[in-house]
Amino acid sequence: MLTALRAVIVKELRQTLRDKRMVALLTIAPVLQLLLLGFAVNLDVERVPTVIADEDRTPESRRLADGLTAGDAFTRTGTVADGKAATRLVSRGEVPIAVVIPKGFGRRQRLGKPVAIQVLVDGGDSNRAIVAQNAIAAFAMSQAAAEAETQILQIAATRGQAPAIPRVNVEPRVLYNPTLNSKIYFVPGVAATLLLIVTLITSSGGLTREKEMGTLEQVLVSPIRPETLIIGKTLPYGLIGLVDMGLVIGMGAWVFGVPIRGSLWLLFFAGCLYMLTTLGVGLLASTIAKTQQQAFIAAMFFIMPAVLLSGFVTPVENMPAWLRPLSGFTPVRHFVEILRAVLLKDASASELSAQLVALAGLGIATYSTSAYLLRRRLT
Amino acid sequence: MLKRLIVRALAIAHKEVMHIQRDPQTLGFALVMPIVLLLIFGYAVSFDVERIPLVVVDQDRTPAARVLVDKFTASGTFRVVAQRQDPAEVETLFRSYSAKAALVIPKGFGRSLGRGTQADAQLLLDGADNTTASIALGYASAVSLAASRDELLAIVGEVEPSLAARTRVFFNPTLQSSIFLVPGLMAVILVMIAVMATAMTIAREYEQGSMEQLFATPVGRLEVILGKLLPYFFLGLVQVLMVLALGVTLFDVPVNGSLWWLFAVSCVFLLAMLMQGLLISVVTRSQMVASMVAAMSTFMPALLLSGFVFPVENMPWPLQVVAAAMPARYFVRSLRAVLLRGNGLEVIWPDLLALTGFFLVLLVVATKRFKRSVA
Repeated sequence: MLTALRAVIVKELRQTLRDKRMVALLTIAPVLQLLLLGFAVNLDVERVPTVIADEDRTPESRRLADGLTAGDAFTRTGTVADGKAATRLVSRGEVPIAVVIPKGFGRRQRLGKPVAIQVLVDGGDSNRAIVAQNAIAAFAMSQAAAEAETQILQIAATRGQAPAIPRVNVEPRVLYNPTLNSKIYFVPGVAATLLLIVTLITSSGGLTREKEMGTLEQVLVSPIRPETLIIGKTLPYGLIGLVDMGLVIGMGAWVFGVPIRGSLWLLFFAGCLYMLTTLGVGLLASTIAKTQQQAFIAAMFFIMPAVLLSGFVTPVENMPAWLRPLSGFTPVRHFVEILRAVLLKDASASELSAQLVALAGLGIATYSTSAYLLRRRLT
Repeated sequence: MLKRLIVRALAIAHKEVMHIQRDPQTLGFALVMPIVLLLIFGYAVSFDVERIPLVVVDQDRTPAARVLVDKFTASGTFRVVAQRQDPAEVETLFRSYSAKAALVIPKGFGRSLGRGTQADAQLLLDGADNTTASIALGYASAVSLAASRDELLAIVGEVEPSLAARTRVFFNPTLQSSIFLVPGLMAVILVMIAVMATAMTIAREYEQGSMEQLFATPVGRLEVILGKLLPYFFLGLVQVLMVLALGVTLFDVPVNGSLWWLFAVSCVFLLAMLMQGLLISVVTRSQMVASMVAAMSTFMPALLLSGFVFPVENMPWPLQVVAAAMPARYFVRSLRAVLLRGNGLEVIWPDLLALTGFFLVLLVVATKRFKRSVA
């Protein structure tokens, strides 16, 4: 059994690594991709380009425009004469936000009358639009609060009392990633996706390549048992995957400053379980498909939903109720959760037991299904 | 000359159609896959943050503290999953993903507010989930502001707000993220299915030895490539139309622009992506390597560099250069322009030009790299 297993593994490794391009694809490509894509992920909405249309041109209107663009939320990128020009810019998608300060703004403010500004928002990028809208609302709200405060101070002064200014202050404190660095959040997701692609594509091609070339018949007439064949066809890719995992986590820590706070052994163990599921799915695709093209399409058909349902790009809580249970079936979700929890939060195995059990379950289920299918084919 | 090219390319196309017909499972898969993917993705990918699991640590137990909790949960952004007495227990809940935020209201909160001084509370956030944390952060400051304003107004009496900001949202008045994301999803799905369709075709012929037979005929390199392209182009058009029709009807994506421009830009994009697949096939000559290259060069770059989720403007400049070499980037941009903003040629011409350029460059490179030898 062991000799046969070693023979299959050696054959599989030789056949795959004989092609030098494959070696590069399995080692350098994931690292390069992580480097490239790690810099791409940035959802922070800051310094939204904003055009000001100041129709009023008074010191008051200028003060408002300066006040709005003083913080991190907006960056003034241009000035146009009137609301019409601003509307044209926003509707052509040339600028996401335009603020129109109408004529008479300064005069009304001097008279103590309520004033209004118009904010034109390109809703095409809904994320940015919501953030910008909230920033404007907060600006208006803080102005209102500041005015109420001045009134209270005035009243207190006329009555000769100490002013009472009740205020609610909810101080946010962000744990694990205090600066909310997007890279620290996304690098584990990118890493898990790269591992999925590398191990799934290679293992799904393994058996089908033999089917296409007609060499599977030769293997089947040899005394190799189906279990040996299955393990021998997946273990080499699992080893490659583990090497990649080390490279990718190392790069994440070194280049992107992703902290490694938890146990590397726990990560290694979780990585093995994750590989069990990705290789299991690859093997399943390989058993069902007749050609390499079919196996490749099946693999991609698994990869895409597995990644997008994992909460890697947008949180699972945002999904509709009927879809959320489905995300439990993607190994990427469990592995990304483990990666983030171990790397950032120093979580223990018992705190992550749900994720570890789910990964093990998925791996065992896919392996036994493909073992069953392959055995049926053999007899 | 041209006539000969067309006749021979059509002959190759005919042969490829027979290949496709012989494998009905793959064909069926190719037609069903985009629909399934669009259905799952359209609902799965959403920025509309809701139901953030919140732990309440209310050490104050006054009406004022309860009002603050109600303010947090009022809009549905947070949902209370647990009550605790000790803030130290919060981290355990964070580590096991049971909660992502914790509102800590210390003793004396209500008393400070009653005395007319500042009352402090704390919102702990799980920074390992960036998206949720940053939304919660904004929400927390909005709640603080609103609560303070309400307290102040309770003293001075209700007055008309002195500064009103009237927001007018163009193209997406309800600010649904699906309207922003679905055009991008369409692009990602089309990238995948187009490259998947062609990445293996030529490599397969090399592997199975039929390329040798093809080279024994007088068919030229360009003719093989165009012949291989044609059937997948028509198959791709069916997929494009399905994805566009379904995306628009299911997810309320408006069609404000001209359907003809939409069709034109989709055709050019499809050609560029099919050509990318063919180039991979020509260069790698091995299905295993081709599938790796295809998977690596399409999914993640289309997802992360196309501007589908992450705005290209936010990227550092070297990456903006890389993103400029992604056909998906131009397609996402022009889809949004035509669908949402109703723009026409005056806005999308650079994208159309870029995509056409891509197709032509890839066609030339693939033809040049396509060697009439099998060794």
